[in-house]
Amino acid sequence: MSPTFTVTRGPRRGAPLDRRRALKLLAAGAATALASCGPPREAIVPYARVGDGEDLAPGAIRRYATTLTLAGYGRGVVGRVVDGRPIKLEGNPAHPASLGGSDVFSEAAILDLYDPWRAKAAAGPTGVAAWLDFAEALTARLAGHAADRGAGLRLLTGRVTGPTQLRLIKAIQARFPAMVWARYEPLHDDAERQGTRLAYGRPLTPRPRFAEADVILCLGADPLGPGPDQVAWARAVMARRRGGAAMSRLYVAEPGLSLTGAAADHRLPAGPLVMQALGLEVARRLGAPAQPGETTPRALAFAEAVAADLVAHKGRAVVLAGAGQPAQMHALAAWINQTVAAPVDVIDAIDPNPDDHAESLARLTRDLQAGAVTSLVVLDANPVHDAPEGDAIAAAIGRLPFSADLGLYKDETAAACRWGAPLSHPLEGWSDAVGPDGTPSLAQPLIRPLYDSRTAEQALALMAGEPDAAARDLVRATWRPGAAGDFEAEWRQALIAGVLRRGGPAPTAPPAARWVEPTPITRSPLILALSPHPSLWDGRYAANAWLQECPDPLTKEVWGQSLRLSPSDARTLGLGHGDRARLGFGSRTIEANVRVTPDQALGVASLPLGGGRARAGPIGSGLGGNPARLRGPGLAWSLEGLHIERLGAGRDGLATQADHRLDGDTGELLPTMSLAALAAGARPGADRPPPSLLTTPPRGEHAWAMVIDAAACIGCNACVVACQAENNVPVVGPDEIAVGRDMHWLRVDRYDPGPDDDPNAGFLPVPCMQCEQAPCEPVCPVEASVHDSEGLNDQVYNRCVGTRFCQANCPYKVRRFNFRDYTAGAPWRDLDVTALKAQRNPEVSVRGRGVMEKCTYCVQRISAARAESARDGRPIADGAVKTACQTACPSEAISFGDLEDDASRVAGLRRDPRHYVLLNELGTRPRTTYLARVRNPNPALRKPA
Amino acid sequence: MAQLFGPGADVVARIVLVALVVTPFLIVGSLYVWAGSPYHTRAGETVAQPILFSHAHHVGELGLDCRFCHASVETGRFAGMPATEVCMTCHSQIWTNAPMLAPIRESLAKDQPIQWVRVNNLPDYVYFDHSVHVAKGVPCEACHGRVADMPLMRQAAPLTMGWCLDCHRNPGPNLRPREAEFDTRWTGVGDPAKRAAALMAAYHVSTAGLTDCATCHR
Repeated sequence: MSPTFTVTRGPRRGAPLDRRRALKLLAAGAATALASCGPPREAIVPYARVGDGEDLAPGAIRRYATTLTLAGYGRGVVGRVVDGRPIKLEGNPAHPASLGGSDVFSEAAILDLYDPWRAKAAAGPTGVAAWLDFAEALTARLAGHAADRGAGLRLLTGRVTGPTQLRLIKAIQARFPAMVWARYEPLHDDAERQGTRLAYGRPLTPRPRFAEADVILCLGADPLGPGPDQVAWARAVMARRRGGAAMSRLYVAEPGLSLTGAAADHRLPAGPLVMQALGLEVARRLGAPAQPGETTPRALAFAEAVAADLVAHKGRAVVLAGAGQPAQMHALAAWINQTVAAPVDVIDAIDPNPDDHAESLARLTRDLQAGAVTSLVVLDANPVHDAPEGDAIAAAIGRLPFSADLGLYKDETAAACRWGAPLSHPLEGWSDAVGPDGTPSLAQPLIRPLYDSRTAEQALALMAGEPDAAARDLVRATWRPGAAGDFEAEWRQALIAGVLRRGGPAPTAPPAARWVEPTPITRSPLILALSPHPSLWDGRYAANAWLQECPDPLTKEVWGQSLRLSPSDARTLGLGHGDRARLGFGSRTIEANVRVTPDQALGVASLPLGGGRARAGPIGSGLGGNPARLRGPGLAWSLEGLHIERLGAGRDGLATQADHRLDGDTGELLPTMSLAALAAGARPGADRPPPSLLTTPPRGEHAWAMVIDAAACIGCNACVVACQAENNVPVVGPDEIAVGRDMHWLRVDRYDPGPDDDPNAGFLPVPCMQCEQAPCEPVCPVEASVHDSEGLNDQVYNRCVGTRFCQANCPYKVRRFNFRDYTAGAPWRDLDVTALKAQRNPEVSVRGRGVMEKCTYCVQRISAARAESARDGRPIADGAVKTACQTACPSEAISFGDLEDDASRVAGLRRDPRHYVLLNELGTRPRTTYLARVRNPNPALRKPA
Repeated sequence: MAQLFGPGADVVARIVLVALVVTPFLIVGSLYVWAGSPYHTRAGETVAQPILFSHAHHVGELGLDCRFCHASVETGRFAGMPATEVCMTCHSQIWTNAPMLAPIRESLAKDQPIQWVRVNNLPDYVYFDHSVHVAKGVPCEACHGRVADMPLMRQAAPLTMGWCLDCHRNPGPNLRPREAEFDTRWTGVGDPAKRAAALMAAYHVSTAGLTDCATCHR
């Protein structure tokens, strides 16, 4: 007989509390309050074992070199690890694709590691499973493919450069000779592969040596834009764009404004027709048997000037064709480069897969739809989102008896597949990769895997028939055979430096580039030009909140992107700025907001890929339409005959900056000087402060100051994300951005000092100015905003009561108020965000609601340098304190140091003729100052009146 | 009709008026006194630990150096707690079966660190760095008191901001020569004022930036 229970409840809701019970509760409460007269004592625990290493002190920062990939190419990073937690990534100075700088992707990768939405366990047909269950299922399935030698098996990956992954793929191919390895990147380089094939007879990769280039012509190319080469190329190009005799000249022809276009001396908005005519005209003037094409007078003048400049700088001029240009344009660029003896190395493709990306994907799609495939393994790729026929692929995958998706997230493809299995984050495992220039490097774990996951190498080894291989052994097995001497010594050295000292592909002596007559193109109706997303790339980073909230460098849009149209096209189509529109080709349509911008080429609408993720967690899902769906077969970059239909008035895209022009003041905020004027002794404006009645605060031991070179800034936002990672800056989410709130301590303003048709866009990173006579200080009623002896404008969070007077009184608008408890992670909705805490920098306070915050010049790094100097008994050397933004900057535009040291770099830059003070007339005497932009225009190329 | 106010009404009214003015000051004042008092700061409170470890025995009687256990005090922000193996340096040889040391042996066997109870605790918004203080000649005793005389550890100082600032405004009297920093019996020789000035100069201590907010808060 089962016992019966009487369920007792407390007093019913609404029942009156009787006197006796009330007194009891009162007494209990009072007793509790008396007994707990202080907070509970904390525990204190030894951190390291004996023998863990002398330097393993609690709270100490340790640095490890490792490698991250973008589109398959390796880029060296150095991870800062505190108490076993990686908290910040910086560039690896020893790696040629980083040189110490970084970009938004590598800065934000640390957030992916702790992303609350990461796949934490495998999922199979019966629900959540362990990795071993998945491994068992895969092994059993592969054993079945012994019969057909893998004829029904497909492996789909993105671009693979890692020697270990390539070795294991070879092993899989040896095991299943009939298997097909499909490989594609949505942002592919097919045009370059085909173009070099046309010119040289085989696919090669041109690698410009920008340090030697006096004249650069970009035909739709964006070397300063997002991509695996951005950091290294920005360093090389911008080193010669800061004035002086060695300043290069940059010509850019492009459909929509890019970062390279913003840095150009001469920019020509050009659709395909004008672009081809320009290329042909330049080639013709250099002696090619080309027929002049139909073009505009402006393009003709541009071509004339460019051609003359190229000839005048033979051996020191480079032409680049963009990834979105047709193959013939790449062939043409190869021919011109050969003709002008351009400083370009031509190397064999780093990616050893012989197939073109579009062709590889098309064949897989065909096979899937024809039923030729019985098993599909997708490794770190997401065709259901980023392939043009994603929906058809999803349907075809659904019919497969076996399909598996391995990745960091349960994305669209994982949802379509029978099995989804979590891959380890690159910071959790051993791996290797090859940089875009051929430099191999190792990736080592900075932390144990947080979840039940494996590395891509381990997954491939599983397929090759090595189920229990350790990731480290797999990587070592790749490198051991080629060791010249002591392998262990080389391995150790490679782990310390992050780079393997084994030669990449040496520049090949290419065969002579042939002249390829481009097929004439005709005037076409509206063209859609697709481009990489500046922070989401092809959409793979859509789940990263820092990247979603990282403003587009040019439009300053966040959490979504608009379609860009020229004013004249917008008028023709009856569209206005901010309108909602449906765009597409036939039945393939998406919706987007329209952004009318004068820097857009006539007849071309631009839209970045990467939006419209259906399954990217609470952060990335449901933000606009998916432009990849418009591409049609062939992964085209540019499509003719775009149809746009106005749906009605929408709202402007969410943006952190509304106006790029301030009547009459733009030229003072962002002064631009010509090289000739600079040489003639022109100055950008007064940098002496106006007289003041206020007393200057006494100077202490140091006087910290920052100088930002607006001529070197490419606007890439690496500093913005670096600051966010270093200083525990939260994201606010789209709803808060919509009401004008934003927490970035450092923002990059875009200003257009030029006329409407040639805006000459430029960038101005604006951190706290650390004014010597700071307007924020006298208005604080609680002295939370105070000056310190080294010139910092300290914000004392614990004193702040949130009056926001300081924010109102700050002329530079750099103070940020935490209106809601942003640190609690509201954009992640109801996901458990505990893991995000592990990313927080323990040296920086985590601010709560109701508190004002702002840039501190990374005072924690100043403190660390001060502590080190006290321990070593040496003064702080110039360059010992590097702020997070300064470290991240790929073009070294930011300098930081001590004005008390007259020989310091910042003190020197303050004496530069280009030096100016932002809003100098206010007399705030900021410690953050700027160097003016310089342009090196071709005197022969007058701007059209 | 009877008088509404009795003869004492004036006095009462005056007392009430005075009380209205004085009481807020009294309340705020007593809160200040309470905040600085050991009731709130927990100064002097002896804390129960999982193992009855005696600094008086180990430091005072046996003469162990502070850094034998708190190894990162010269290099890092945190002084560090000794790993179980450090205790076992001696206690694998002596007192190997003492019941008092059972938690240590258990910690070693289970490979689980001992969870000590924190005695000196600073708020999370204070970024204190041991290494800088040691490098600039501040002895352990200046904050932690004479641990050689403490059978059980207790918080010796109030650890209030005012107490920190007392020293940051005038560190000289607390400084010691390098060789005496870890000396638990040091008393100092000569004229204290002269010594303070000499040590301030020797350690290049300048009070100019010591009271900046960003020195401790960021």
